[in-house]
Amino acid sequence: MSRGKPPILSPLLVCAGLLLSACGGAARGGPALTVYSGQHEQTTALLVAAFEKQSGIAVSVRSGDEATLGNQILQEGESSPADVFYTENTPVLEALAKRGLLAEVSASTLASVRRSDSSAQRDWVGVSARVSALVYDPSQLASTQLPASILELAEPRWKGKLGFAPSETDFQPLLSAIVKLDGTATAERWLRGLQSNGRIYPDNEAVVNQVNNGESAAGPINSYYWYRLRDETGSRGTHSALHYYAPGDPGDLVDVSGAAVLRASSHKAAAQAFLAFLISRTGQETIAHSHSYEYPLRPGVSPAAGLPALSALRPAALTPAQLGDGGAALALEQKLGLL
Amino acid sequence: MSRLSVRDLWKGYGKRAVLQGVNLEVQPGSLTAVLGLSGCGKTTLLRVIAGFERAERGSVSLARRVLEDAHTFLPAEQRGVGYVPQEGALFPHLTVEANVGFGLSRRERRGHAVDELLEMVGIAPLARSLPNELSGGEQQRVALARALARRPHALLLDEPFSSLDASLRTRVREEVHSLLSAQGVTTVLVTHDQEEALSLADDVAVLRDGVIVQQGAPADLYERPTDERLARFLGAVNLIDADFKDGTARTPLGALALRVEQGAVGYGAGVVMVRPEQLDVRPRTEGADGLRAGLGGRVEQCRYYGHDALLHIRTEQPNGGEVLLARVHGEQALPVGTPVTIAARGPVTPLH
Amino acid sequence: MSTFAPAQPVTSRLTRTWSGRRRWPLVSAVGATVAAALVLLPLAFLVIQAQQSGWGEVERLLLRHTVVVLLWNTVRLTLACTVLCAVLGVGAAWCVERTALPLRRLWAVALVLPLGIPDFVVGFGWVSLEPGLHGYLAAVMIMTLSLYPLVYLPTRIALASVDAGLEEAARSLGLSSWQTFWRVTLRQVRPAVVGGCLLVTLGLLAEYGAFEIVQYQTFTVAIFTEFKLGFDAVGACALSLVLVLVSAAVLGGERALAGRGRAWRSGSGVRRIAPRVSLGGWAAPVLAGLTALSGLALGVPIGSLVYWMLRGSSSTLPSSSILAAVGHTAEFSAAAAAVSTALAVPVTALAMRHRNRVTLLIERLAYLPMALPGLVIALGLVSFSVRYALALYQSSLELIVAYSILFLPLAVVGVRSAMGQASPRLEEVGRSLGCRPAAVWRRVTLPLIAPGLGAAFALVFISSATELTATLLLRPTGVNTLATQFWSYTTDFSYGAAAPYAALMVAISAVPAYLLSRRMSTLARMRPET
Repeated sequence: MSRGKPPILSPLLVCAGLLLSACGGAARGGPALTVYSGQHEQTTALLVAAFEKQSGIAVSVRSGDEATLGNQILQEGESSPADVFYTENTPVLEALAKRGLLAEVSASTLASVRRSDSSAQRDWVGVSARVSALVYDPSQLASTQLPASILELAEPRWKGKLGFAPSETDFQPLLSAIVKLDGTATAERWLRGLQSNGRIYPDNEAVVNQVNNGESAAGPINSYYWYRLRDETGSRGTHSALHYYAPGDPGDLVDVSGAAVLRASSHKAAAQAFLAFLISRTGQETIAHSHSYEYPLRPGVSPAAGLPALSALRPAALTPAQLGDGGAALALEQKLGLL
Repeated sequence: MSRLSVRDLWKGYGKRAVLQGVNLEVQPGSLTAVLGLSGCGKTTLLRVIAGFERAERGSVSLARRVLEDAHTFLPAEQRGVGYVPQEGALFPHLTVEANVGFGLSRRERRGHAVDELLEMVGIAPLARSLPNELSGGEQQRVALARALARRPHALLLDEPFSSLDASLRTRVREEVHSLLSAQGVTTVLVTHDQEEALSLADDVAVLRDGVIVQQGAPADLYERPTDERLARFLGAVNLIDADFKDGTARTPLGALALRVEQGAVGYGAGVVMVRPEQLDVRPRTEGADGLRAGLGGRVEQCRYYGHDALLHIRTEQPNGGEVLLARVHGEQALPVGTPVTIAARGPVTPLH
Repeated sequence: MSTFAPAQPVTSRLTRTWSGRRRWPLVSAVGATVAAALVLLPLAFLVIQAQQSGWGEVERLLLRHTVVVLLWNTVRLTLACTVLCAVLGVGAAWCVERTALPLRRLWAVALVLPLGIPDFVVGFGWVSLEPGLHGYLAAVMIMTLSLYPLVYLPTRIALASVDAGLEEAARSLGLSSWQTFWRVTLRQVRPAVVGGCLLVTLGLLAEYGAFEIVQYQTFTVAIFTEFKLGFDAVGACALSLVLVLVSAAVLGGERALAGRGRAWRSGSGVRRIAPRVSLGGWAAPVLAGLTALSGLALGVPIGSLVYWMLRGSSSTLPSSSILAAVGHTAEFSAAAAAVSTALAVPVTALAMRHRNRVTLLIERLAYLPMALPGLVIALGLVSFSVRYALALYQSSLELIVAYSILFLPLAVVGVRSAMGQASPRLEEVGRSLGCRPAAVWRRVTLPLIAPGLGAAFALVFISSATELTATLLLRPTGVNTLATQFWSYTTDFSYGAAAPYAALMVAISAVPAYLLSRRMSTLARMRPET
């Protein structure tokens, strides 16, 4: 008669205890600044640490996929615990601005970067930038075969050689740029060409990986993906190279990473201070040295060693504000069944 | 010693009425068998008494206590009614001794109570076995010991022996009977096996179409069933046309005495029930004068059971004859085709 | 009536009687209501959001050529994977449970483990191994390999508890061993098999992993596009309602398939235990098959993890934060597993014991979260909690609730696979032996359904430990789990640093899988514990 108590009970009791302790942990801490960040976590962590040290303001970071975080803020609305939203791309910021969820960025912060790198409505400030380029496999493509314009990628000679990620948040700005510079008809023709030439990958990480593996000969990406892959695999593991299009080409697009203060924030002063820090010299140098391979936007701060100067590339004359929230590009992709 | 009374019990499932006013009295300390075909509501009756289901109408009382009526419903655990379902329903995750001690308090379990119960039902060596290691008979005994452990006021046995094979069934049945007599616990046993009911019970109640059609001592029921269906249900019968006159029945087998009092049966034509064992069968040699001794016939079939034999005999009558069943001693079994003379021993029971 | 003995204190008994009798169903009813409310929460979110869009917008979204293609892709992926999972799951379960398989214990655990490898790790492994893997067949293979344990586990539990007496009877009626398996054994475990297949089917409707791994586009892609590129929750929710409709049809069909038969055995007590079949000449092919299955489902992702741990330049010794991540993962997952299991018991018990329209509807509803993308459920919780329970927003408790909703279907299938063991007859006997319903529940029912509870717990635990979407949205700010850490390293190309987190996820999942396996051999077969 020794087996009175069913052994299942003990794990259940333990779990009940866990549940209680979980309730206890629900209480929110003090008046720390909450940052929702879609930017690379390691870069964000460096920035936050430097900001905390300088300002004495405690920051808690919520990292995630920026689109998901954007949707989360949309659902949270007025009750959002976020004070600052820091993203890799600007369409999500534009989407929030359109719904009136962002506060105006303070004038002094906006003044630290070029006007054209921030929101025209002062809803967000540009922090850093990435430039798009073509990753290619030198064993499959000779340098003479490389395109001067991204528009060439739609030509038949690229059939079976391309890889691209149409659902990636970096792809829409490219398409938007073509729409803006060459018109919707050209953009649609280009996209159809790409569709018939290329293999579709889920994201730019896959594009750069598969070009590096030789599965595809080339693919449009943002340059920093290639640098980061090179860091991880080492020079022996790198079997690909970067190519920049001719100056002024829509393919030489600059993608801006931005930050905004939430209108519902209850720590607006601290939030503005955080934005100011991001574009301060310290903040910008932190970004430049963080292995994120992004270009600091504050004039006078140079990017990581090895990156070609942004000015040398002379990218297309398009501002993030002109690119907007990417609605036209999205409609086009949906029309062609790419999404 | 506790009397169990069931009064006017009604219970149905959906549109199907199962119990339709059951009345049952179980004398203190007696074993009453509820006999019925499967599907007649026997199990439902037990389940209502045990408190697993609530009746729509009627009452159940035990040991001067109302278990259930229009105002009261005692839950099963407060009824003091032991229940042994078909196949025992032992808890498969508990050892034999844990099964038997299930209803006892922790303190009681630590004492000798369980050992004594196991001893009583003769399975002490199996105390630490799990139910799946026991034979069918052993499982029944454990189930019985488990139900008896709490000294219930009444014990309900639902077809307890039906899953046992024939040889085991008789033995376990005997053991259970003697155990229950020794314990003197008021018992209701439900069965579809009339032999089991007649041989074990002090009292037999026949449940048919949701009512108890007859209740009485086994011999009473066997000898004086109230109608033909009942007569057939309790055992093989011969129904023989008869003219009633002066307390006797005139039949092709001769004039037979009637079981009932004089006035109960009037004059006129009717039927009497003659059990096969009431027929005397003698082989007759061809040409000999058998008519004096009874009706002539010929053996058509002979079922031999060892201790006895059942003969199907076609009578030699002008209309082609009819088949009579006769039970004879085993050594009197006759080969098919044997010409016989049949006589009946009274008294017989008239049927309507 | 005067002959009746005066019943002693009738009135005082009356109250006790009724409360005593209703106690357990009341607890069940409350539990089932809570479960239903939790499941309806994301559904309400969908409906409210979708209502905000006009019919015109829904029409524009739905009546696109793409949507038709995506729906067709979803359907054919679902059909093929469900059939394959059923075959693999039942086959593996039978080999482990009914044959004298060498290294049985090891297989028993290894075959569950693919559940503990998150989609993104699987994708990672396959893309490293065979970069050219794309399209329908690749999606079918990879999804089958990661989902078959959902059939395997419940089937194994059901097989362990099948009464071999019936199989012997079938053999005696002249059926061959194959016919017996097909017509008797499979019939008996059918509710478990169909339940597992239901999980696979519903899970695939909401599957996004196939897209991420092999670029096979399913209907969920359309939903995610609305969310991620259009920031249009309204459109996404309208599309998600299509998934709800499809799953409602599937759930209706499943009832017909699973049959109305009660799951518990005809006899009330003891069952015969099936002897293990000797594999004989089949041993080699069976072992080869299981090795291939585990090699593909487990070996590929684990192999690539090891490769990156050794090769990646970001590989570092795991920091102390990895311990915190392990702690959080284990804590959240265990709590969610307990909650889900606790909710699944009344849902299942009511549906099996008190069968009526309401209880069946609740049981059906409990499967719904499986067919909704995690993002939808998580955003539903966000939307609900910022309005009505702000104090709970982004608390551990909310995350646990989210897991409990997401994986309630797994718990229901686990519990259902064992609920048949607890025959109501045994409970009645317990009552007649003087035990109150609560005591009967504790002493009879609970031990009998323990294997099912264990399975439910393990399934939910393993799935929670690898969950990413809801975790990113709902975890307390600053808290990391193994899945979020792995994700943040891989998005940064730090594969070497990410690999240990994935390895730990697999390791943590192995614990409940192992414990469950041990419990099954002791409890489900009802052999004495040593």
